[in-house]
Amino acid sequence: MDKLRFYLALWLAKLSRPVLKLTRHKGTSFPGELALRICPAFLQYIHMPEQIIAVTGSNGKTSTVAMIAAILTAAGRDVVYNKEGSNQTEGVATLLLSNCSLAGKMRGDVLLLESDERYTKFTFKWFHPTHYVITNLYRDQLTRNGHPEWVYDAIRPSIHPETHLVLNADDPLVASFAQGHDPEKVTWFGLEETLSSSTEHHGIYHDGGRCPLCHGRMDYSCYHYAHIGHYKCSVCGYSRPDPDFAGTYLDLKNGKLTVNGRVDLRLAFRRIYNIYNVLAAWAVCTLVGVDEQSIAATISSYALKNGRTIRFTLGAHKGTLLISKHENSVAYDTNLAHIQALNEPCEVMIIVDAISRRYFTGETSWLWDIDFDRLAVPHVKRIWLCGKYVNDLAMRFDYTGVDPEKIVLRESLSQATEELKAQGDLPLYATTCFSDRDKLLALVQREKEV
Amino acid sequence: MELNILHLYPDVMSLYGEHANITVLRRHLETLGVTVNVRVLHADDAPDFAGAGLIYMGAGTERTQKFVLQRLAGQGPALRAATDRGAVVLFTGSAMEMLGASVTDAAGKVWPALGVAGFTTVETEKRAPGDVIACSDLTDSPVVGFMNKCSLTRGVTAPLFDRLTLGFGNDAELGPEGWRDGNILATHITGPLLVKNPDLLDWLIRRLAELNGWDLPEALPSLPHERDAYAVTLRELQGRVK
Repeated sequence: MDKLRFYLALWLAKLSRPVLKLTRHKGTSFPGELALRICPAFLQYIHMPEQIIAVTGSNGKTSTVAMIAAILTAAGRDVVYNKEGSNQTEGVATLLLSNCSLAGKMRGDVLLLESDERYTKFTFKWFHPTHYVITNLYRDQLTRNGHPEWVYDAIRPSIHPETHLVLNADDPLVASFAQGHDPEKVTWFGLEETLSSSTEHHGIYHDGGRCPLCHGRMDYSCYHYAHIGHYKCSVCGYSRPDPDFAGTYLDLKNGKLTVNGRVDLRLAFRRIYNIYNVLAAWAVCTLVGVDEQSIAATISSYALKNGRTIRFTLGAHKGTLLISKHENSVAYDTNLAHIQALNEPCEVMIIVDAISRRYFTGETSWLWDIDFDRLAVPHVKRIWLCGKYVNDLAMRFDYTGVDPEKIVLRESLSQATEELKAQGDLPLYATTCFSDRDKLLALVQREKEV
Repeated sequence: MELNILHLYPDVMSLYGEHANITVLRRHLETLGVTVNVRVLHADDAPDFAGAGLIYMGAGTERTQKFVLQRLAGQGPALRAATDRGAVVLFTGSAMEMLGASVTDAAGKVWPALGVAGFTTVETEKRAPGDVIACSDLTDSPVVGFMNKCSLTRGVTAPLFDRLTLGFGNDAELGPEGWRDGNILATHITGPLLVKNPDLLDWLIRRLAELNGWDLPEALPSLPHERDAYAVTLRELQGRVK
């Protein structure tokens, strides 16, 4: 009976796809939603490929999944994955039914899933990944995620005892997923002390300051960014595990990374969080049997295609758009650190117009968790604050060391871009969220991606 | 004119930018000529309310809240004594729950709280985050903010806000919210409450002035952008009210 229901769900959902295409509703999660409605246990009956890799965490899911897909594909594997990042249960169901036969057997050697950290327990109730990558846990979209420990508790039930965990050793909360899990089934990735690491914590708040197990004081011997680094609890001794896959040398400026002391990589990207995506992808691809040379070759020729850095021109200004997610102070801080480290005079634009593209909120408290003091440097000549929440931004800047003379407030983004077009030629670094990105791109000359 | 602010455990109880409440209050007071001293108690420090004119604590996670509850065990009478000698207590977010008799966690374990108030809190498995518009007789204009709670608080006899026009109150949608007893103010609204609500900030400053015998001007100065920011948020939130 249940099996019958499954087939009914599968066939109807499959039939709905051409209909949606005709009615121009392509790309939605409707087929998956329909299948789950008809057969709640739908995911359980799909005949899966032998290897199932899942990726979850606060940041870096889409980039890590894209990198794993590139490595596996280059190694000759047939990979099915959610490219568009439709990562909630309905999205995963849609992906599976779109890639399986009428009998419910999936094509491909590897199923690779980006999984939303809040939905992962619902998705993996019916089947479980063979390999499960958890990237990091930050303050991210707290208006719907609550806080990092709440997300930890949401992910925890999605971990099956048979699943092999691939964990970020440098994130104390993520590393604590290994507590109670068979140690043979845990692989660690992390970054050793490098040129860019610091012995001081940078940031407005420190979520790694207390031990996730006993709340004792954590001592860090080095920080890579935010609470990501080398830690040890002063009370219970809980400490960073030795990574199996370690970045042993890193020169971010010149894009050089050495893995496990022996493989040198040239990277197309220069942001610290990308390094963790590389290490995570490296670890899991090795576990599923791809050899080191093949991984290294793919990563070295890999152009980051996730749209996080977009170049444009605005009048005489050469522009760079750095995507920082709103409600995510770590994403902002890493981009501000990038601007802070530049050697050239520049202007900066920060846009907060719609806080989220998916839901409404007027919540701006996260602005107070961003370290805008990083822009209080001589080479940042002017800072344009734009969007509906321009006053909240302006007020936040009043409590930084940024010279008020450098700040220009323009609620209207088009007014700001008109003014910039008419004057000046300094490089312009704009930072905003996906929710506001297209509003800027509509007003500038976007450069073709290489 | 001088004020000693005691900021309780911001390293574990400042989850939604609550530290800004103290930063902005401090600047306002200094603009008025008040000398402000801020003492911060960190997670390893034993509680000590001595000399404080304002005692503030913000929101924590469910786990850090229990950690601080243990740290504050038996301190209810000392906190009450501090208010008796003229201190204002402001607890926001999940810190509010600590003032009651107990907090029952989602697993059913009952954690004794400070017992300054008689209300009790029960955590739920679901979180109910949402924007808030709250009305009270403290200010003519409503208070705006955000709530990020996973609990119900029952037995509040004197709420801080009589009603909400948007959001979830102590135990009901649009119901009464927070708790007030004289100079003790508690609300589950998270984040920089005083930053987002200039009128509430002014009310608090006047209250502190009365208690400390400061001579303040009739009209309190407002700092740039605050009122414009408030107006935009109120307009946006009111647009959500059906």
